[in-house]
Amino acid sequence: MTFRGVSLSSSKAMAAARFGRVSRFGLVIAVVVAFVFFALLAPGFIQPANLRSILVNNFALLAIAAVATTIAVHSGGIDLSVATAIDFASLAFVAAIVAGADVPVAFLAALAAAAGAGLFNAFLIAGLGITPFLATLGTLFIGHSVQQLATNGGNPIYISFTSVPPALPALARGGVLGVPIPVLVVLALGLAVHVLLKRSRFGRRSAAIGVQPQLALYSGLPVRSTVAVIYVLTATIAGVAGIFLSANVNAYMPFSGNAFLMNAIGAAYIGTTVSRTRTPNVPGTLAGVLFLAIVANGLLLIGWDFYWQQLGSGGAIFLCLALSYGIQRLRS
Amino acid sequence: MTLLATEAPANGRGRGAIEFALLMPAILRAGALLLFAAIFIVFAIQSPLFLAPGNLLSIVSQSSILAVLAFGLTVVVIVGGDNALAGGIDLSLAATMGLAAAVYATIVQLGQPEMVALGAALAAGLGIGALNAFSVVVLGMLPLLATLAGMTIATGLEQLISKNATILVDSALTRFLGGTDAQGFPVLAYALLVIAGLLGLGTRYTPLGLNMQAVGGNPLAARASGLGVSRYVAGSYLVSGLFGALGGLLSVSFLGASSKGAGEMLLPIIAATFLGVVFSRRFVPTIAGTLAASLFIGMLTNGFQLLNVSSYWVSGIQGVLTLLVVAATTTRPRA
Repeated sequence: MTFRGVSLSSSKAMAAARFGRVSRFGLVIAVVVAFVFFALLAPGFIQPANLRSILVNNFALLAIAAVATTIAVHSGGIDLSVATAIDFASLAFVAAIVAGADVPVAFLAALAAAAGAGLFNAFLIAGLGITPFLATLGTLFIGHSVQQLATNGGNPIYISFTSVPPALPALARGGVLGVPIPVLVVLALGLAVHVLLKRSRFGRRSAAIGVQPQLALYSGLPVRSTVAVIYVLTATIAGVAGIFLSANVNAYMPFSGNAFLMNAIGAAYIGTTVSRTRTPNVPGTLAGVLFLAIVANGLLLIGWDFYWQQLGSGGAIFLCLALSYGIQRLRS
Repeated sequence: MTLLATEAPANGRGRGAIEFALLMPAILRAGALLLFAAIFIVFAIQSPLFLAPGNLLSIVSQSSILAVLAFGLTVVVIVGGDNALAGGIDLSLAATMGLAAAVYATIVQLGQPEMVALGAALAAGLGIGALNAFSVVVLGMLPLLATLAGMTIATGLEQLISKNATILVDSALTRFLGGTDAQGFPVLAYALLVIAGLLGLGTRYTPLGLNMQAVGGNPLAARASGLGVSRYVAGSYLVSGLFGALGGLLSVSFLGASSKGAGEMLLPIIAATFLGVVFSRRFVPTIAGTLAASLFIGMLTNGFQLLNVSSYWVSGIQGVLTLLVVAATTTRPRA
């Protein structure tokens, strides 16, 4: 399938380029339209408290998972096991707290658990040459079994009310100068990943592998080690979402990472529309996540019941993807 | 990514490595068959119930649901090619099964004629298939992404219809499909054999089937020789949607109810399809291979139950086996 690097015939190139410039703003327009739509229709949508809630409850965690996914997608791969990384981090974090560890120690344990899932992916993809899709799918399901075994079939692990360390609610609900901590973390991680992908040698290698892996190898790029780092990094960053997930609910809920999977991948692909070369990029991903967050929150406020919300969010992602791919088709 | 794999044999130093690489497929196939046989024998020795005719038949009828769904994916992979990211994949199959089952069960429960329910269930499957086909062929979405979106929509619809509850069904069709013949042979097993036979022969010996393989093997060459590649690809997603609906009907018949959590079938479906490649000489997905792998997965699940091994192991073991087979078969020398 034509994914990236669509060649334009020279006669159409000019018109297409003009059209392309407009279509790049499609996602931004979608975000604005969704915002205005719900601001007019949904009572209380525009209230500062609700806008904060969108950022903290709908945006932040998905954004972390989506930024992580962007790294894998940027290299021409995919990571279906971000869900596993999120769950492993959440499990390790809660298990460490329950065992009496301090929050920083639990934090490191969680990142290590997530990185473990990433290392396993790296071994499968860079070591054994399995395609990222099948490798990370395998990890996803092995992760499912591990969680079932660890929780006797999927029972949540709660941090008892008395033993919640004070740092935990601060992590989930605190803020610096009024900006919620999860949002600050999104901004920091987003900036770091953006610089990594767009301004570093590593990012250029990853892009080269994404566009033309064969060529990257023949040009002497260290394909295997780059790919390995990509998957470890993806999982580790996704793990941060798992930590905030645990801190939010003071518990580990098995398999809750799966809820992020589709939206994270969807946002990463939707985000490619803002790039002239249709490369996965952090700002686009974050715009995609913002769109999904606004839709999810807005549908709730206009009173759709849970099942309609699910369908509505699914429909919104599909429409967004359909539009962006449809426009790309028209351009080429 | 496949390049990492294709490079492996070339890097293997000397003639010995090349000869070994040429023998690999045969060794792998034999090894896989031996492993399957060994697991069968272990189950038979460990559990006296395992070899009981009733149990074996129940494995077959239980596997029929998985196999029919995996046939859908097999068709998609045959036509789309087995590069899982850019090639054919259908992640929406399990969700389609759940949707079709919920549609059928709900309509029967509302007291509508069975034919209406049957038609609606098949239409629901075809609808999801058509959505996938539209996204992939018309919009040019990656199949992975397109069918992931299809999966979300099918799951959303299913939950909307069923309110996430189990709906009991008792209709003539489900009684017939879920029942047995005069000799106690389950109808589901017959259904499986008929579907597998028709589809297996169809994909292997008819011009249509050979063209499908041509499209999957090399789309550019297929287009150059005058095949309408997009039409075959679109058709494969429609077929997959239809098989998703069929799987839904079989599962309603087997369980006597529409069940929630259909999404859990996704891994077994993918595992059956990609495990099945080990049964083909060229390591490509085939209907016969998928059938064998589905029966194997059914046997594994059943054997674990009999041996009281926790079912929590099942998805992990399926994942590991799939990874093993995929790892082994992707290091094959490419002709």
